[in-house]
Amino acid sequence: MTDALMTAAAEVFGRYDIWLIVLAAAVYGVFVGAVPGLTATMAVALFVPMAAWLDPVAAIAAIVTMVACAIFAGDIPTTLLRIPGTPASAAYADDAYAFAQRGEADRPLGAALLCSVAGGVFGAVMLMLLGGQLARVAVVFSVVESFWLYLLGLTSAVLVSRGSTTKALLALVIGLLLSTVGLSAVHVDARFTFGRPELYQGISFIPAMIGLFGLSEVIRNLASGTASTDQPKPQAALLSGRLLTSLKNTLAAGLGQLRRRPRQTLRSSSIGVVIGMLPGAGADIAAWISMAVSKRLAGNYETDQPDRSSLNRISDATAANNAAVAGSWIPALVFGIPGDSVTAIVIGVLLMKNITPGPQVFVDQPEMVFSIYLVFLLANLMLLPVGLLAVQLGGVLLRVPRAVLLPVIVLFCVTGAYALNGSLFDVGVMLVMGIVGFLLERRGVPLGPVVLGIILGGPLEERFIQSLTAGGGLLGLINRPIAAGLAAVCGLLWLTLARSLAWRRGPVPDL
Amino acid sequence: MIGCSSDLPRHEPACGFRTYAMSTRSSRGRGLLWRLLVVSVGLLGVVGCGSRSEFPSQPIVLICPWSPGGGTDRVSRQLATQLSQSLGVPVNVVNATGGGGVTGHTRGAVARADGYTLTMATVELNMLHWRGLTKISPDDFEPLALCNRDAAAVFVRSDSPWQTLADLEATIAREPGRLRASGSARGSIWHVAVAGWLLEQGLPADAIAWVSINGSGPSLQELLAGGVDLICCSVPEARGLLAGGELRCLGVMAESRHPLTPDVPTFREAGCDWVLGGWRGLMLPLGVPEERAAVIREAVLRTVESDAFAQFMETAGFNLTTGGPAKFEQLLVTFDRTFKEIFATAAIDAVSESPIGPYGFPLILGGIGAGLLVLLVGRGQLQLQTDALRLTWRDLPRLLLVPVAVAFFMLTTESLGFVIAATGMLLGLLLVVRVHPLTATVVTLLLVPAVYQLFAVQLGVPLPWGILGW
Repeated sequence: MTDALMTAAAEVFGRYDIWLIVLAAAVYGVFVGAVPGLTATMAVALFVPMAAWLDPVAAIAAIVTMVACAIFAGDIPTTLLRIPGTPASAAYADDAYAFAQRGEADRPLGAALLCSVAGGVFGAVMLMLLGGQLARVAVVFSVVESFWLYLLGLTSAVLVSRGSTTKALLALVIGLLLSTVGLSAVHVDARFTFGRPELYQGISFIPAMIGLFGLSEVIRNLASGTASTDQPKPQAALLSGRLLTSLKNTLAAGLGQLRRRPRQTLRSSSIGVVIGMLPGAGADIAAWISMAVSKRLAGNYETDQPDRSSLNRISDATAANNAAVAGSWIPALVFGIPGDSVTAIVIGVLLMKNITPGPQVFVDQPEMVFSIYLVFLLANLMLLPVGLLAVQLGGVLLRVPRAVLLPVIVLFCVTGAYALNGSLFDVGVMLVMGIVGFLLERRGVPLGPVVLGIILGGPLEERFIQSLTAGGGLLGLINRPIAAGLAAVCGLLWLTLARSLAWRRGPVPDL
Repeated sequence: MIGCSSDLPRHEPACGFRTYAMSTRSSRGRGLLWRLLVVSVGLLGVVGCGSRSEFPSQPIVLICPWSPGGGTDRVSRQLATQLSQSLGVPVNVVNATGGGGVTGHTRGAVARADGYTLTMATVELNMLHWRGLTKISPDDFEPLALCNRDAAAVFVRSDSPWQTLADLEATIAREPGRLRASGSARGSIWHVAVAGWLLEQGLPADAIAWVSINGSGPSLQELLAGGVDLICCSVPEARGLLAGGELRCLGVMAESRHPLTPDVPTFREAGCDWVLGGWRGLMLPLGVPEERAAVIREAVLRTVESDAFAQFMETAGFNLTTGGPAKFEQLLVTFDRTFKEIFATAAIDAVSESPIGPYGFPLILGGIGAGLLVLLVGRGQLQLQTDALRLTWRDLPRLLLVPVAVAFFMLTTESLGFVIAATGMLLGLLLVVRVHPLTATVVTLLLVPAVYQLFAVQLGVPLPWGILGW
């Protein structure tokens, strides 16, 4: 094993072309992640024809780096424009955007970057040390356990929402209802499509997310009629003058956050790895659950300083979502089962290189496996400098006068929504969701749970009905030990929720 | 002359935006803007030119009805790369997913018949219309070339008691309804393969309960987790676990044995006269002018028969079965007949019963949502937020600004093209919020072509082409 590790280390760190490829992939990944509507999956799929020219380690290095960087870069438009780049960022979009509006965009971005790197590095180490054992855990997850996990993720989204729990629950139900539009996977029955073939695909969450957060903010700003006189908020650090000072400030903001909460970051990263490797669960659920866990375990999560607790949420979520990226590779490598579309493409690339992912590859080509692990480490370390620079570049956006910026955001929302599927229907979804988001926010209904509802509604229903067919009746939902455990956790959380939902005089306290 | 001096006559406030946002700019700043305007118009010329008369002169869209990373997507992207080399224009893969294949096939069939849209059709095209999910059938396409046929195969865990297909059939016959299977969604090709096999052996089609799980990956996971007893999918989809000894393949529903599993008998060899599998092939919508169709057909045929494609299919583990339009047409007719019979027996309907109907879940949700609304309204919590804007009817024009702009884009982009529609939308919005006309023009002229260049050229997103070669 040590021999294989040494060979792999020489292969990964000793080759200058690998460093160059990782650097190029990091820039590409950050760019794709930062443009709303472009996804990591799209970036990787576009890269595949190029992968044919590279050797396996280089090809994998490029893909790993792209994905790790893209998921962080999603935080840049989230913070600066309130357009979540990834669904995981929707969990803290409002928190991060509030900083930018106060002129402190460097603080959430610094925290997000450093925690992303920490989470990613932790994920890589876990992959290296425990990948095989964790995969054994992953394969005991059947549809029943997935069902409870989705429910746990949805419950977490309600728990961590700011403001009234009832409104968060309403937001979640709206999202879940929207997810039922289209051809239901499990019944193969067209619902709420009114005979229109475009509606068969249902409401995709990326245009919905761009509309709910990004476009609704533009509508709100333009409705106020002050857009033309608003001056951009001078940012305390971002590109305020010398690049070096600005870099230092961003870095310091992130490091301070890491130093203050080492245990919480570790916990969020572990949650990220474990949830990421489970079938059908990814970075989005990981982000929400880790926020909920931190909130339940740490009494002072919501401190008396609102900006401190905002930063804590951002840190937990970003650490978890980057760790989840590493976690999702565990079942792909160990069993050749793709956990998401990115790992499905990776398996394709590996097969193209005559490597069949699965138990056998650990025996036959251990140095290949170690190379992949080390590439994960390298990719996350590369994220630090590239991410720092990207944050500074993004800061330019904040110097543009709002009257110019707002119409430009509309252009990006439209193009991003169109880019996902090349369909004007998605642009329409984006527009309608923008109006819905504007109306909901006026009544204080949070938008994050709507997004998670749209994402998880379909799988939740599917897993529920699959559990009933596979397990035979309602008892089948709890007659497996892990399922019963997850069910108990869900039950406890609902009790807490029910207590805060109960009729009380006066305003309901924030949960 | 607009905007050369800073003391412009102030216009009446339109929609309440009072001043030019950047009217305080110095005349030196203006000079810079003018220069930028000249540069951007020059750039427009460079980026926008290049209209050739011969076909194809624009990027081609290849619609893949399934998601990135899947088998169909991989084949599509390989073909797209090779086709773009032989046709000399970019071939962009668009994953129009959803609806169990309805979305992608429908988009491919109703696409403009100008030869710039190809569809990677799959076996579902033969099935969806018999299931009443769409009216689109193979008759709506002009088949170009068949690329691949993959047979169904049956897998069990290697620690299961069944060593041969006969063992499995004996268990099913002894205890009908006990075993659970999956591989894909209900009514999908792998489900039909299992149902057809059971019917062929004189067993009821619901002797195995079908758990509807989307995709072979999650189904394999479920098999390992013990949630189902057997899986039906193609051999390449399970090759990792098969090589690792986690799975056992009991039989392949093909005419001959699969090269990846030379020891596994076909169903015919095991005494069951049943052959079924999926196919993939490229198609054009009906009505493409013959001289264009001929160019595409020739390029596609050359590509699928190339050595590079054969090598790709071999390493990826896909079975390479190619054929021209005539052979493809023949295959479509045969498949359509097979599926008509299977779906007519109602065998699939019998096993399609789900414990909760399609409207069960929305009904429960609707109930909860209504309850929450009553609760919130009852407590008076759904009032406007204290920091929300007070809007009156007079504010309506400003509220409608963004919806009208986006609607304008949606209505015009297909006919005028992305660049013109986006320019109209952006310039209009900028002017309405009282950005100085010169600034607005420069921003629009720089940004729209840059976005177009980035998305359409660099990232291969097929933004609509319009008049003027954009």
